[in-house]
Amino acid sequence: MTQTNRSRNRTLVDFVVLPFLFLTVALLGGLRIGAENGTFIFIAPPLVTLLLATLLMLLLVRGGLVRLHHWIGSDFPPLTNVAHIWMFITVFFASAQAFNSVLPERGLLHWLFSFFFLWTLWNNQFSSFDARRLLRSLAILFGTAFVLKYMLLASLYSPDGGWLKRVAGTVLQGVALGTLDAPTFAAVTGYIAFFTLALYVAGLILLGFAVNDETAVVTGLSVRPVGDEHLD
Amino acid sequence: MQSKIIQLAGLGFTIAYAAFIVWIYATEPRTFKEVTTTAEVAAGTYEINQEKFNSALNFFRREQFRAARVEWQQADPAQRDARTQFYIAYSFYREGWGRLYFDQELFKQGVEAVNRAIDLSAASTLTIDDPDLHMHTAAELKAELEQGLERNWSDVNPLKILRTRK
Repeated sequence: MTQTNRSRNRTLVDFVVLPFLFLTVALLGGLRIGAENGTFIFIAPPLVTLLLATLLMLLLVRGGLVRLHHWIGSDFPPLTNVAHIWMFITVFFASAQAFNSVLPERGLLHWLFSFFFLWTLWNNQFSSFDARRLLRSLAILFGTAFVLKYMLLASLYSPDGGWLKRVAGTVLQGVALGTLDAPTFAAVTGYIAFFTLALYVAGLILLGFAVNDETAVVTGLSVRPVGDEHLD
Repeated sequence: MQSKIIQLAGLGFTIAYAAFIVWIYATEPRTFKEVTTTAEVAAGTYEINQEKFNSALNFFRREQFRAARVEWQQADPAQRDARTQFYIAYSFYREGWGRLYFDQELFKQGVEAVNRAIDLSAASTLTIDDPDLHMHTAAELKAELEQGLERNWSDVNPLKILRTRK
């Protein structure tokens, strides 16, 4: 009975909760709230975020958080394969939108942040990773970008003059910040981004615990769960 | 068996959710109200606010064209009703019409509105049965607005002050 409940709950998490969670990240990742009139602004993921998401997916596979050979295979029922491919797609778009939420929307800073992400992800491709280290690294990566964009830059571009604007004004007297131009959004945008990133990282943790030993439950094959191996 | 049902239901539910997200990003609604309006349009249940429409018509008949337009825009926020768009275009025409010159900006906005009305009634000719109007079809109104935007020698004809507003 306990085994049945475990199997049922796991299926529910893997095929309903996780895709729903990642799709919510995909929905909220591009959402900004206008500073002037509080209207929704939906920003579709720029091309560079798709590239970043591709690199991140490679890392997730390398780190063992996504075990493609345990997700998709000719031994599994077609429905399980389709559901896993769908899950893979939702993780990809959630990753793209997670990057979208922490990238400045335009200007030099957009490209600086993109380069910083590309450099980090590219370097990580050649490092030895396990799921636990990868999750920690991703949490730090997104956390840093969040602090930079929604606390430091938001303060710099605040229309009523944040603390950083005053400091920058004093330090960079006479230097134009035109090339660092960035749009300003309502403060609630930062809260949405925080929630989005928290949801994304939580989804990845849940993915590490849940999905990788799911195939064993659904198909009856013996697979060593990733949680035992990496997330101890 | 139950696992299969959960998988199928999960797939169906999340694919529908993904379609909703794609739709949201494609239509880019700016408020929750716009979300519901666009959803009504997509579902085919969209209807204009008749009370606002009638109130706008009263303003229009009293020659308060700007007030009329505000009411019509509230009556048809999604700009999906051909009749309302026709009246909006007509209000631009009447407000922009002058004995000596036509207001080009208002006429341009009138052309945009009448084009919307024509697009929305592409299946049949849009005819408005209103005795207060001198032009009853969108095609007539469009022709009149476009003529007003054209520049030619007849513009310097002094007899044009005798022309009448439709």
